[in-house]
Amino acid sequence: MIETQVKNNFDEETFLANKLRDILLKNDRASIHKLEGILDNQDELAERISPIVDYKINLLKQKFPKEFQLAVNQIVEKKMKESQEEILDLIYPVLGRMIKKYIVHQFEEIKEKIDNQVSSLFTLKGLKMKIKSLIYGIDDTELLLSNIDKPKIEEVHIIERDSGILYGSATLRPTIDRDVIAGMLTAIKSFVEDAFQREQEELEMIEYGSYKIFIQNFRSYYFSIAMSGSLSVSQRHELSASILTFAEKEILQLLSNDGAEKYEIISEKLKLHFYDTEAKIFN
Amino acid sequence: MISKKVILTGSFGVGKTSLFNQFIFKTFSDKYLTTIGVKVNKRVVTIDDQEVSILLWDIAGEISQDKVPNSYFLGASAIIYVVDLNRPITFQNAKTDLDHLKKIIPDSLIKVVGNKIDLIEEDKIEDLKSIMPVPCDIFTSAKNGINVEDLFSQLASELLANN
Ligand SMILES: Nc1nc2c(ncn2[C@@H]2O[C@H](COP(=O)(O)OP(=O)(O)OP(=O)(O)O)[C@@H](O)[C@H]2O)c(=O)[nH]1
Ligand SMILES: [Mg+2]
Repeated sequence: MIETQVKNNFDEETFLANKLRDILLKNDRASIHKLEGILDNQDELAERISPIVDYKINLLKQKFPKEFQLAVNQIVEKKMKESQEEILDLIYPVLGRMIKKYIVHQFEEIKEKIDNQVSSLFTLKGLKMKIKSLIYGIDDTELLLSNIDKPKIEEVHIIERDSGILYGSATLRPTIDRDVIAGMLTAIKSFVEDAFQREQEELEMIEYGSYKIFIQNFRSYYFSIAMSGSLSVSQRHELSASILTFAEKEILQLLSNDGAEKYEIISEKLKLHFYDTEAKIFN
Repeated sequence: MISKKVILTGSFGVGKTSLFNQFIFKTFSDKYLTTIGVKVNKRVVTIDDQEVSILLWDIAGEISQDKVPNSYFLGASAIIYVVDLNRPITFQNAKTDLDHLKKIIPDSLIKVVGNKIDLIEEDKIEDLKSIMPVPCDIFTSAKNGINVEDLFSQLASELLANN
């Protein structure tokens, strides 16, 4: 008896609750039904959503540069800064080569003009030279230079620019302490560059008796090449080009090596490269 | 072996070249030949089986360090700032000098050296300390070699530790 009573009460409650819910949620139900319809129908869905998506995409397109450029720039800037050293060391030889090419080109133009003038002058001496060069198969200018001492590389050093610490060196004969030479060279360089107060200009050659020390500057290091004998302008250019080639090909990799053998490895590479170059350029 | 650039600086006549000669050649001269330009030499110092090659730069003295070309200091792992204990004028600018040097090479070690200690009577040392604008790390005599070896071996071990 009690049980049925309870049951009846329960049924009644359920019924009332459902009724109440129907009344309250009538509007929502309708929208849910509609939504279900839209969701089921792909085309209708697309039609409704695409304008919103398009709008958002457009908004993003408009805003992207403004909002993200800053962030992207910051990332790029940071990355650049982090690898600044490497980038500069990488660019230096390339830039040097470009400038060198231009200068060599200018020189050749001048030389050509002079050659033209010379060939129009029919001198006996010139004629003799021509015959000689025909017989021996060498160029006039080279013939002119052949009496002078043959150039010879005595020493090659790669030196850290600021500290003057030696990265590597190659020489065919034993010399006094190379570390000291490198330090002194760097000190002299700093002294001269400072004494003349020429910003952006750097010492490029030191002449000492029959020795010439050529200096080729890169950003964080420089080459010094001690030569004996005489060098023609074109030989000087070739030597310089050869330094650039070495810098381009080897340096970054060599300098990034932090092993105990770093000095020996760099020195070996220098020896291979420059004594091979010497044979090609000066013989 | 590691190589380190170390530079001697300070006012003129304080004994930079004398410290250089004492450290490198173990020699001393009473003659004063002022340095023009720069001189570089090397000595290898061994600390607990580890070798450090010290490339020592001796430069011309200047009353104030902002007169010295910055390029001399660049790449230096340590700076030895020398004053002449016998001439208070030589440590007058010490504070601004050291600030200037720290700005150029912030990561470098700096040692302040009071040189010519042989000329100072022992009971005057405390008075001297009290009038110095910056404390000396070590007192040396380039003349009789007092503390010169110590200065460089301290420096070498700090350079090794920093490496
Ligand atoms: N008694 C004494 N004299 C010293 C000492 N150190 C240097 N002198 C003398 O002080 C003078 C100057 O010494 P230098 O070593 O030439 O001084 P410097 O700092 O190199 O001078 P600049 O090159 O002009 O900047 C010389 O006459 C030295 O003999 C020292 O420890 N004791
Ligand atoms: Mg001196």
